[in-house]
Amino acid sequence: MILQEMANSASQWSRADGPEAEIVFSCRVRLARNLEGFTFPPWAHDSVLKDVSDKVLNAVKRSHYLKNSRLIKMSELSSTERRFLLERHLISPEFSSGGPHRFLITEKREMISLMVNEEDHLRLQSILSGLQLMDAWRLTDKIDDELEQNLDYAFLPQWGYLTSCPTNTGTGMRASCMLHLPALAVTHKIDELMKNISKLGLVARGLYGEGTKSQGDFFQISNQVTLGSREEEVVDHVESVTRQVVGQEKKARDILLRRDGIQLRDQMGRAYGTLVSAYLLRSEEAISLLSKLRLGVSLNLFPQLNVQVLNELFFMITPAQLQVKEGKEMAPLDRDELRAKVIRQRLGKLK
Amino acid sequence: MICQVCGEREATFHFQEMTNGQVKELHLCEICAQKKGLGQTFFMPSFSLSDLMAGLTELEVPLSEEASVTCSHCGLSYGDIKRKGKIGCGLCYQELEEYLTPLLERIQGKVRHSGKVPKKGKVEDQKERRIYELRKELEILVRKEEYERAAKLRDEIRRLEREK
Repeated sequence: MILQEMANSASQWSRADGPEAEIVFSCRVRLARNLEGFTFPPWAHDSVLKDVSDKVLNAVKRSHYLKNSRLIKMSELSSTERRFLLERHLISPEFSSGGPHRFLITEKREMISLMVNEEDHLRLQSILSGLQLMDAWRLTDKIDDELEQNLDYAFLPQWGYLTSCPTNTGTGMRASCMLHLPALAVTHKIDELMKNISKLGLVARGLYGEGTKSQGDFFQISNQVTLGSREEEVVDHVESVTRQVVGQEKKARDILLRRDGIQLRDQMGRAYGTLVSAYLLRSEEAISLLSKLRLGVSLNLFPQLNVQVLNELFFMITPAQLQVKEGKEMAPLDRDELRAKVIRQRLGKLK
Repeated sequence: MICQVCGEREATFHFQEMTNGQVKELHLCEICAQKKGLGQTFFMPSFSLSDLMAGLTELEVPLSEEASVTCSHCGLSYGDIKRKGKIGCGLCYQELEEYLTPLLERIQGKVRHSGKVPKKGKVEDQKERRIYELRKELEILVRKEEYERAAKLRDEIRRLEREK
């Protein structure tokens, strides 16, 4: 099965080989496109969706970039399998609800993927490791040009690319960076920072879990509007704001290390201790501990570990990844046991 | 805190998004978060909170006028579009322009598209594509500090823009 094969390796972009990858987990550019003369997916009948998917799949066949891709039909997947793809950032929450004539095309390294018949007929994305958003845009731009040779896009000079949701009209582009900001989070600078970012025409998002305020200290910065600016200008803006945030996180790490060095080492050592010794780990606990350890690894406090190992673990331990890899549905307690085992083995080997 | 969707279970999933200094928060229980495709992911998938909330609000009753004009391709009225928050097809942008323009301006600002243009667009789009390509070239020349050639290119772009 394709998904099980995927579960055995991590996505290329989690390899932490891009610039500033210790802080910028990944960067992503996605484009929304629709075919002229066809009703947009939220309103389209099945027969229209079928015609659209035939046309798009035909264009994909002729694409140089997508020629060695996997083709996944959403209606053939279980809900766990769809979740698996969602967690690997290959599909959106909307797409994970399934539906007829919906396809995912993803090249083997999972850097490029295309959703067919999501909210728009095409949703094309590139994800790269670290802060290389302009490269991600250039790549997406080229694939878009290539697909366009065999497709007629809905476009008007005034409004640009026509999309299902008015929040995407124009470039149809969303450019975002995913950041790991544990030092800014622990020094309570995050809220103010997010507020300032949001005043620069960008959107800042954080995900907060139970108890601890943030779940893994991950944050996302992306552009808000899609009309009126050129793609390069938008990408440049998101990239330069991200660079400033990276600078602040680095500063916060320095201060933290100088001011609270011993407490910090203690916390990270405890996180490591729990991760290599536990026999049951709940998802949120594991994420919170891995986030602490990831900071420690970035600060070179664990020379035997590297950021890539941590990035991969974040992926491997989510409920859907565990279940797809095992090839069966599992009860929560069984997952907690398997999760602890996966982490023990991966980190234990590197002791 | 109680889940904002079901209003019954305890919310354990807290999501925050900021735009223009405004904070939007969403608090869901695990079951509703799962239903929305969220839940136990360690970092958020890309979607906007407003999109998510659109599906949470009560159905708005369209004004009769908004329901009377329909798009000749997909048959939708602006009332339909408003209810779902999704436009019907490419032709809606032209045939329901009167209603969609204020909506787009509210979301995007009073601006015109200045980004990428399809290569093999209609005749009127081809000039736009040419301008788009020249602007790209201009950027490269400026970066290379070839100002003389850049100035010529800038004049050419202005001329094309005037012709529109």
